[in-house]
Amino acid sequence: MAPVLEVRGLVKEYPGVKALKGVDFAVERGEVHCLLGPNGAGKSTLIKCVSGAVAPTAGEILLDGDPLPVGDPSASLRRGVATIYQELDLVDELTVAQSVFLAHEPRRGPFLDLERMRRDAAALLARLGHEAIDPRTKVRELRPAAQQVVSIARALSHDVRLLIMDEPSAILDDGEIETLFGVVRRLTADGVSVVYISHRLDEIRRIGDRVTVLTDGRTAATDLPAATPTDELVELMVGRAVEQLYPERPHASGEVVLDVRGVRRLPSVRAVSLQVRAGEVVGLGGLVGSGRTELLRLIYGLDAPQAGEVRVGGRRLPPGRPDRAIAAGLGLAPEDRKSQGLLLDWSLTKNVSLADLGRFERGLLSVRAERAAAREQLQRLRTVPADAERAVRELSGGNQQKVVLARWLLRSCRVLLLDEPTRGVDVATKAELYRVIGDLAAAGVAVLVVSSELGELVGICSRILVMREGETVFEVDGERASERELLRHAVAPTETADLIEEVT
Amino acid sequence: MSMMRLPAALAVAALLAVGAAACGGDSDDDGATATQAAAGATTGGEGGGAGGPVSIVASVPPTDHGWLGAISKNAQAAADEFDDVDFRLLEAADADSQAQQIEQVISDRPDALVVLPQDGAALTPVAQRAEAAGIPVVNVDRLFTAPDAATATILGDNYQIGVLAADYIARRLDCRGNVVEIQGLAGISVTEERTRGFVDELRKACPDGGIDIVARQPGDFNPDTGLRVMETILQAQDRIDAVYTHDDDMAQGVVQAIRNAGRDDEMFLTGVGGSQDAMEQIKEGGLYEATFLYNPNMAASAVNMARLIALGEGFPELVPPEVPRQIIVPAATVTSENVEQYEQYAFN
Amino acid sequence: MTTSPASGPGTAAAPPSGGGRARRLSGVRLQEYALVLVVIALFVAGSILKPDSFPTWDNVRNMLTQASVVGVLAIGMTFVIATAGIDLSVGSMVAAAGMFGGVLVDPEGSTLLFVFGALAFATALGSINAIAVAYGRVVPFIATLAMFSIARGIALLLNDKLPVGLLELNGGSFGDPAPFSLMWFGTGRILGIPVSVYVFLGVVVAGWLVLNRTRYGRYVVAVGGNREAARIAGVPVRRTILSVYVLSGLLAGVAAVLLCARLGSASPVSGNLYELDAIGAVVIGGTSLAGGRATIVGTFLGVLTFALIFSLMTQLDLSTEVQQVVKGAIVLGAVLIQRPEARL
Ligand SMILES: Nc1ncnc2c1ncn2[C@@H]1O[C@H](COP(=O)(O)OP(=O)(O)OP(=O)(O)O)[C@@H](O)[C@H]1O
Ligand SMILES: [Mg+2]
Repeated sequence: MAPVLEVRGLVKEYPGVKALKGVDFAVERGEVHCLLGPNGAGKSTLIKCVSGAVAPTAGEILLDGDPLPVGDPSASLRRGVATIYQELDLVDELTVAQSVFLAHEPRRGPFLDLERMRRDAAALLARLGHEAIDPRTKVRELRPAAQQVVSIARALSHDVRLLIMDEPSAILDDGEIETLFGVVRRLTADGVSVVYISHRLDEIRRIGDRVTVLTDGRTAATDLPAATPTDELVELMVGRAVEQLYPERPHASGEVVLDVRGVRRLPSVRAVSLQVRAGEVVGLGGLVGSGRTELLRLIYGLDAPQAGEVRVGGRRLPPGRPDRAIAAGLGLAPEDRKSQGLLLDWSLTKNVSLADLGRFERGLLSVRAERAAAREQLQRLRTVPADAERAVRELSGGNQQKVVLARWLLRSCRVLLLDEPTRGVDVATKAELYRVIGDLAAAGVAVLVVSSELGELVGICSRILVMREGETVFEVDGERASERELLRHAVAPTETADLIEEVT
Repeated sequence: MSMMRLPAALAVAALLAVGAAACGGDSDDDGATATQAAAGATTGGEGGGAGGPVSIVASVPPTDHGWLGAISKNAQAAADEFDDVDFRLLEAADADSQAQQIEQVISDRPDALVVLPQDGAALTPVAQRAEAAGIPVVNVDRLFTAPDAATATILGDNYQIGVLAADYIARRLDCRGNVVEIQGLAGISVTEERTRGFVDELRKACPDGGIDIVARQPGDFNPDTGLRVMETILQAQDRIDAVYTHDDDMAQGVVQAIRNAGRDDEMFLTGVGGSQDAMEQIKEGGLYEATFLYNPNMAASAVNMARLIALGEGFPELVPPEVPRQIIVPAATVTSENVEQYEQYAFN
Repeated sequence: MTTSPASGPGTAAAPPSGGGRARRLSGVRLQEYALVLVVIALFVAGSILKPDSFPTWDNVRNMLTQASVVGVLAIGMTFVIATAGIDLSVGSMVAAAGMFGGVLVDPEGSTLLFVFGALAFATALGSINAIAVAYGRVVPFIATLAMFSIARGIALLLNDKLPVGLLELNGGSFGDPAPFSLMWFGTGRILGIPVSVYVFLGVVVAGWLVLNRTRYGRYVVAVGGNREAARIAGVPVRRTILSVYVLSGLLAGVAAVLLCARLGSASPVSGNLYELDAIGAVVIGGTSLAGGRATIVGTFLGVLTFALIFSLMTQLDLSTEVQQVVKGAIVLGAVLIQRPEARL
């Protein structure tokens, strides 16, 4: 029997870049096929070719042995290929139900069957363990993780034979990922095949059947069993072993730099106090929606707190003034890089230098100095491509994330707020990033890291706080922390892992 | 007393109109109807008959242009002359808002409406509605496109403006030379008529040809557009003998272009309208030799006509005394020789 | 261009191969080059169709002089559009600024007073736009549409709808006006090049430097590209937005001086629809109406394109209706050859 999906010699060229240089792999019926590779390897490009979002330059894509028309998303959909893209692609102003059934709305006669649309959408959401999402809310009002769930529901609303998921777990927390895996297992039991992309290698063993590794637009290895040791996979991806993922844990030495006193902004944050010392890396764990991002926004002055205050180096920051926060030495790498971090049409250089243009000003801007400085930071994070004059839009997701981080590395901050800094970043770069964070701390920077990957918090933090429902509920020394314990505190005692939706 | 003191100007205008219609009859079809009696003259004046004040509303385009400015001033001045006229002047920014404005006015039921439409065709339906509602409409300058849209019409003869300009230029150049025509706004009847009259008459005045219209471009009645267009034409044409412009205000830009290029000795220029600036320059002599005008005073006549119609009266000089259905105000040529005579009509 | 040594981090995926130069010919740059072709094509067409009068120094000088008024406006408009805004009021502000300066020096005054008055008044009007947009949070389209009407009204009110003659200001005269008389700004020449062309080119160069080589310029484009990202990166968003409308007003004042200096008078009906020419030049130049992408060189070429089209068609004495069709076709063609990727 022909495999469900077979890709042969696939090549995709963008102007000036060869994203795919000849990829081969096959997906069997009912399996979860994991696609691994460093940032910019071509994973997203590959699945976009299969979904019809882009047309390949050369090569063949066979579905059940029949060639698939290229560059035609509706043809792929008709033949049962549903895709969840890495970048959320929902229309903000539509409701959840409208989004789920966009372009294949149920009809009664010539009219939309709104009632059925709502009902079916609600049923799909329930199947995903998210009954709490109301099909009538607008997508705009949902936080990113909930939007991700809507994307998944949309994929499932088709009669799907092959489900492609590009880093779906990047913006989900551990509980939500478990729910997602439950859905995937049920689908595969029904004979649906799944292509699963992730940079979280632990997930492969939990959900995957077989693994294909892409590097630099080529198949480096395919048909590997999911049980392949992680070290081996990493070596295939990176071309070398990553000996040490986490650097030496920094220890607080200096005085308190960031002092947050009882800040509150309902409903997300209620009376949070915390302190970060110079040279300390403090982790902020918790479930998605527990108020961590909002807390960072309050500290940074993007929103004004209803009560409480933020002090940096003993001086009070005026509320609601990010420019003053920056002047006081704060930096924030936001969680949603596309809408809050990047200017997609700008070059890498300009994106990196934006927060610190003053230092290149010698009357006029010295473009040469700007480029050199930006390139240095980008290289430190192994950003691909090395050409810093390219538009950020053309970068792979993980590399875009690096550009945001490079911006704040360039501007030497006293306090660095990092919101999900390793989201979508490959293993090798994660290790690099952890080292950079460690170095910054060693140089006396106070770092506050929000992450849903509790493992990485345990790996790098001097101290970890756990937030739940807008409050810090637990604090532990990094040395003594365990993932399990953190998760237990992150989840409310009365709740199980299937989590309530919080509509912000 | 108002009956007795019928302004002389109006009487003169009416008589001239008959004459103008008679001699312009071959070229202007509408002229033939000039002496037809106003149909609505006896039905319209419900409010006025009792001797109470007559309410008249005038609706005009934005009066940002010299000639239009003079129109509204003259209308207001004429209304102020009468104790028994309750007058309101409305300006509208464009054809749409003018239509809405008139729609509004209809519900106020004035005794008469004076309308100088932004665009005759566009405002015809609303004028018809006013007429149907029993409000007599006096149409000024730009024609409605249906006969039942106005009780009486008073307009300048744009065709004759062109004719007079052609006569002047043909005579001055002795039927030999290059002429540039700077039109007004393309696509409106005023512009088309001024061009048609000019071309027709030039053919008549110089049957053997000899005059070339080397460039014809619109200047939009704006001095700055006139400037730009003329600057460019001066680049293209190395010999220009005369420039026929459609408007005195716009001509100021054209004059400036010619002077900036230092070519004011090479050619002369004519305008239309009769602005003070133009008349002064004509008096001084030089580049600006003539202007052709029909008088913005026609607005005063329009108000007088509206009043008579509302009162159910007519011109006593006519037998029987009635208000003519259409009055065409004649055009005149103003040169350095007769400019003194016309200065009193100049507007700025 | 950079001297980008393609030395990546070595161990990670190698940088993708491919022509480094060709790559940079993408986006805005490519558009700039394509518009150069349009400008050249129009000039060649003019030279063929009107060989005696078109390809002459005199005509080039005339085209540049004519382009200077809308050109100055278009540079200001580039800044406004870069922030994803729009300024519909520039044409009306030109008229109002000219009239204000005119009334100020009527019957007596100096060129300096006129220039100062026009610039100050236009800047003040621009500031009203700025405050309405940046602090009143009025949509730019509406705020400047209101100013479009207000400024025109003021222009008409200032001298009871009448123009003001400015010929005599500081010994201005035709042909060869005295330096620093008002007419000198419009028709005077230095080394054979009109003063207004110097002013125009000066504004273009200054605009280029500010937009591409200052922190402020970067902020302007950042605000248009992604306002939230700009705010998080520390860009003073409101102040930046405020400034571009003030700048647009100031440049409307400069345009008013250039126009009045050529016209020898200030007219309350001048500047009609200049905003459309300015916006048109900016957009065919490649600046994105959605903000975030702006090019002064493109705007400059856009202005030249419009000036060439006008001159060519007027010299050919095409009738208005033909002109409109041809002009529309050229504009559409210019945009189409520029962005194959933007076509659906
Ligand atoms: N629209 C585009 N134009 C030019 N180059 C592009 C474009 N999209 C992607 N690329 C390039 O193609 C290569 C592969 O990108 P792709 O997004 O497929 O990587 P990826 O494996 O999904 O990476 P990540 O793990 O970071 O998501 C990268 O070098 C990227 O810069
Ligand atoms: Mg990707």
